Amino acid sequence: MSERNLDPVTLSVLASALSGIAEEMGAVLIRGAYSSNIKERRDCSTALFDARGRMVAQAEHIPVHLGAMPEAVAAVMDRNPGAGDVFALNDPYSGGTHLPDITLVSPVAAGENEEIVGYAVTRAHHSDVGGMSPGSMPSSSREIYQEGIIIPPVRLVRGGEYVEEILALILANVRTPALRRGDLRAQIAANRLAQTRISELMERRGKETVLTAFDEVISYTERRTKEAIRALPDGEYEAEDFLEGDGTTDEDIPIKAIVTIEDDSMTMDFTGTSEAVAGNVNCPLPVTRSACYFALRVLLPEDIPANAGTYAPLEILAPEGSLVNAISPSAVVAGNVETSNRIADVVLAALSGFAPADLPAQGQGTMNNLIIGGRQGGGWTYYETMGGGQGASNSGPGPSGVHVGMSNTLNTPVEAFEMEYPMRVERYELLYGSGGAGKHRGGDGLVRSVKVLEPASLSLLADRRRHPPQGAQGGEPGSIGKNLLNDEELPPKTSRELARGDVVTIHTPGGGGYGKENG
Amino acid sequence: MKKLRLGVDVGGTFTDLVALDNGEILTAKVPSTPQDQSEGVMNSVRAAGIEARSVAAFAHGMTVATNALLERKGARTAIVTTEGFRDVLEIARQDRPSLYDLSRNRPPALVPRGLRFTVRERMGPEGEILPLDERSLEEAVSALKEAEVEAVAVCLLFAFLHPEHEKKVGEVLREALPGVHVSLSSEVLPEFREYERFSTTAADAYLGPRLAAYLENLGREVEGAGMPSPLVMQSSGGVVEIGVASQRTAACVLSGPAGGVVGAAYVAEAGGYRNLLTFDMGGTSSDVAPILDGRTLTTTETAVAGVPIKLPMIDVHTVSAGGGSIAWTDAGGALRVGPHSAGADPGPAAYNKGGEQATVTDANLFLGYLQDGAKLGGEVVLDCGLSEKALSRVGKELGMDTLQVALGVVQVTNTEMVGALRVISVERGLDPREFALVAFGGAGPLHACSLAEELGIRTVLVPKAGGVLSALGLAVSDLRRDYLRPVLSTLNELEIGELEDAFEEMECGAAKDLDSPRFGRRADLRYAGQSFELMVDADELEDLEARFHEVHERRYGYRMEEEIVELVNLRLVATVPVEKPGLEEPEPEGESKPGRREANFGDEKTWREVPVLDRARMGRGSEIEGPAIVEFPEATCVVRPGWRGIIDEVGTLVLESV
Repeated sequence: MSERNLDPVTLSVLASALSGIAEEMGAVLIRGAYSSNIKERRDCSTALFDARGRMVAQAEHIPVHLGAMPEAVAAVMDRNPGAGDVFALNDPYSGGTHLPDITLVSPVAAGENEEIVGYAVTRAHHSDVGGMSPGSMPSSSREIYQEGIIIPPVRLVRGGEYVEEILALILANVRTPALRRGDLRAQIAANRLAQTRISELMERRGKETVLTAFDEVISYTERRTKEAIRALPDGEYEAEDFLEGDGTTDEDIPIKAIVTIEDDSMTMDFTGTSEAVAGNVNCPLPVTRSACYFALRVLLPEDIPANAGTYAPLEILAPEGSLVNAISPSAVVAGNVETSNRIADVVLAALSGFAPADLPAQGQGTMNNLIIGGRQGGGWTYYETMGGGQGASNSGPGPSGVHVGMSNTLNTPVEAFEMEYPMRVERYELLYGSGGAGKHRGGDGLVRSVKVLEPASLSLLADRRRHPPQGAQGGEPGSIGKNLLNDEELPPKTSRELARGDVVTIHTPGGGGYGKENG
Repeated sequence: MKKLRLGVDVGGTFTDLVALDNGEILTAKVPSTPQDQSEGVMNSVRAAGIEARSVAAFAHGMTVATNALLERKGARTAIVTTEGFRDVLEIARQDRPSLYDLSRNRPPALVPRGLRFTVRERMGPEGEILPLDERSLEEAVSALKEAEVEAVAVCLLFAFLHPEHEKKVGEVLREALPGVHVSLSSEVLPEFREYERFSTTAADAYLGPRLAAYLENLGREVEGAGMPSPLVMQSSGGVVEIGVASQRTAACVLSGPAGGVVGAAYVAEAGGYRNLLTFDMGGTSSDVAPILDGRTLTTTETAVAGVPIKLPMIDVHTVSAGGGSIAWTDAGGALRVGPHSAGADPGPAAYNKGGEQATVTDANLFLGYLQDGAKLGGEVVLDCGLSEKALSRVGKELGMDTLQVALGVVQVTNTEMVGALRVISVERGLDPREFALVAFGGAGPLHACSLAEELGIRTVLVPKAGGVLSALGLAVSDLRRDYLRPVLSTLNELEIGELEDAFEEMECGAAKDLDSPRFGRRADLRYAGQSFELMVDADELEDLEARFHEVHERRYGYRMEEEIVELVNLRLVATVPVEKPGLEEPEPEGESKPGRREANFGDEKTWREVPVLDRARMGRGSEIEGPAIVEFPEATCVVRPGWRGIIDEVGTLVLESV
């Protein structure tokens, strides 16, 4: 713990100023973006880092972006960044998570000598980055090279000027270059805003005070996290769960976690988890870390800020080459959107052994990724994740038709969808009764049926089609989900070619119930 | 002779009345009557001793609609929607309310599952896909009869573009269910994105019966007393006739806060200030709003009590921090203020009503900004000793002395307020340094100078009628109706002539609703491919695209002139301006000797004796040099060191930083 140099008032004041900057960056990005993933569904995050690469403040819209940013900053710091540069990257093995998430990192400079005092970071899910299928979320990739263009940390802007060749190279490798350009521009605008706001803050408060605040905010947060962990009993609990196939086979894939608490520190150990698989449900370490952070955050008081201090008391052990710490060139696109949920489920299941009574039953545990793309009209891609049932808890029934885990994206409105794509939504409503029974019922899953009006390609990445979300304290499990092409049932993860008039129907899982129904 | 303009504003605690009589302001304050707000309204008229015959106009702002939403005490409401899309209101946008508190649920949908009915039909972007099935409609009608609902929201997909099915369903329902309030999504909000449109329409239906009954009753009493039929404040900042308000209830949800912003704009403009940030700080919450070139701004992105209502509402940003916010120490050793509030009961420690926790008011009292022993509205007497005790308890936890804690509480609170003011200025692309800060509400003038210093604002305005500014705003509000027409086409595919025709058609319609209105044309635009629109002035159609680039750059920091611009909606604001009476401030009646008390401004950590002036004894031209304190009837203004003030000719205390 660093020594305290700021009084409690200044600390409070600057902590709120810094998180305000991250929030404002997020607003600029969402408002200016083109990808519906960003603008409608807010699949993006923004953050400020200090000069040592530690996260100082983050605007979180999506939990899966929680822990995955420090690697991005570290990768950029290795490349001698200068004032006015903006680095782009998406390589999961060099600071990224999966290829559709493009991260922009800008050094923040201060004073006449343009000393680098920190970094502004935006990460956003772009709706296409090339690769073997539209939407860049193939269900059957076996190597990362099939999943899209790989961008190692490179300068997209150098000293304030676009590096046109880099932009041209990226745009030449994606299906919807105009949208990419717009999205990248919105990200750059958000990063610039951080530079402006930090400069203003330093003008008002003094550079040294702001830099001290960077340190203090982190150590303050660390104190609070330790406090919360210390309040839990010491011990060791383990849990195991399964992922249903990897897109190349339909076999169950085990994920195992042992959670240990000792005084004010916590360890999450994934020894015993499956080796990396042939398909694309592998996770690079940053994604695993995000899932672990999420589980930890669920236990912490809500007003603890998100920064490097939040996670300092947590150690993560993930064997290299395993499903949860994959190495190049493993395919990873679904690790981010599916495996991350299961990691969080497993860790929370283990944590429930420490008996915080208000942990809810399991929610749907999948994002139900639906990707449809076609070639007509210059090509188009549609990507959607779908809500389902949340687990019920001690305090009441589980919410219905919501995202429960590593995502919290909005849906695409039916009216926006039909004006943008050659498709029609035939049904979008809740599946009453699909939540597990109990003293409190689990939330209901939903059904979304989409008819394609021209030939198209389908990719589906979903889970909990065999293993239902479990109840808690005697509650019943929720219903499993289901994927249908017309009347034919599809596996959890699959790719198909669609003919004009085909209807794809997704039933999302219900949440587990809490407590015995008549207990 | 009829010459009085009345504004009556019903707040949580008090009902305020302002009567404008040729530039003079007459006020009254009576307790609100939550059971039937109209009782308090009539009490305020009696308390002011107003002669009914002399009233020319009677404008009313109320919280009936807001409260019904907050407490979920609206009508028993059903929805009739497209088959296959029964649960749009519950699924909403599928996001959960809290990322990490997994057991937190969303506020319940206004229409429960058992009252959601569907009809077989389908419209798409190009028009009819499936005709309206008469049998399914008959079945829906009999189900509705059986369910004994008081209101129905008819919400069909794509009705914003193709309202034919919805209109037909509406006709059938209105005939089959006499006495049941029916709202159509194509009439309430003809705009795309089904959840937001359905939600707004459901709110309209849900509020309709209650609000209509309340307004009818109020109208009867007001007219029965010999006054003109009341005008009702809408969320947009303009008033409408009572009959229209009853039919468009979702537009009145933020009737309350709108009055204050309009009042602040009016008073400031009377003194020559047209670019303002308003700051209304009360006991539990604070409202801030921007005013540009004398005009209040509206937004359509408001949610009230978890219900998105996408109708034009005055762009007010609310934070739950006020004088009653409680100071505390968190587990990491930081001083925090709020969001918990001691409210009015038990209130701050100083109230001696059982509250033991230190609040913002306690800090203000300890620092000498408020008067020890001052009487607040009746029996409450401020006791500084109790504040000191409460603050020192916080100080022990932090290792700070009581003075440091008091200064800290004020500073942390100010940070929150600065944050709120930045949201409505900097984040809207407005530079706060070009604005004057208008402070009102019980606690606004206490904090205003500090906030201004933090934001680089050089002028602070404290209106004389700061305690009843909402009621004053009502008295001077224009009649207003908002019209919307969806377009959804790229600008380059549209001829200016077409737009001109469309606006003229809307204007013709508006001219039937209002007596020789004035028109303001607006357009919602975006770059093709974006999802959020920006509202742009469209009075000059030739400049539309250029104006959009400009507004986009101001708001988001960049423009893309090579991209195609898309027109989503045309909007028409029709107003019938009321005459804005001038305000006059008399000169002070002779010299008055200021009182003195000790106060601490933190800058030198020393206490100093400062003059305390009574606003009632000041008048046009009275001057003040900070540090000083000015006591208003319902508020106290802190003039910090480095500020100088003068009462202007309309009675506003104008403070300038030196």
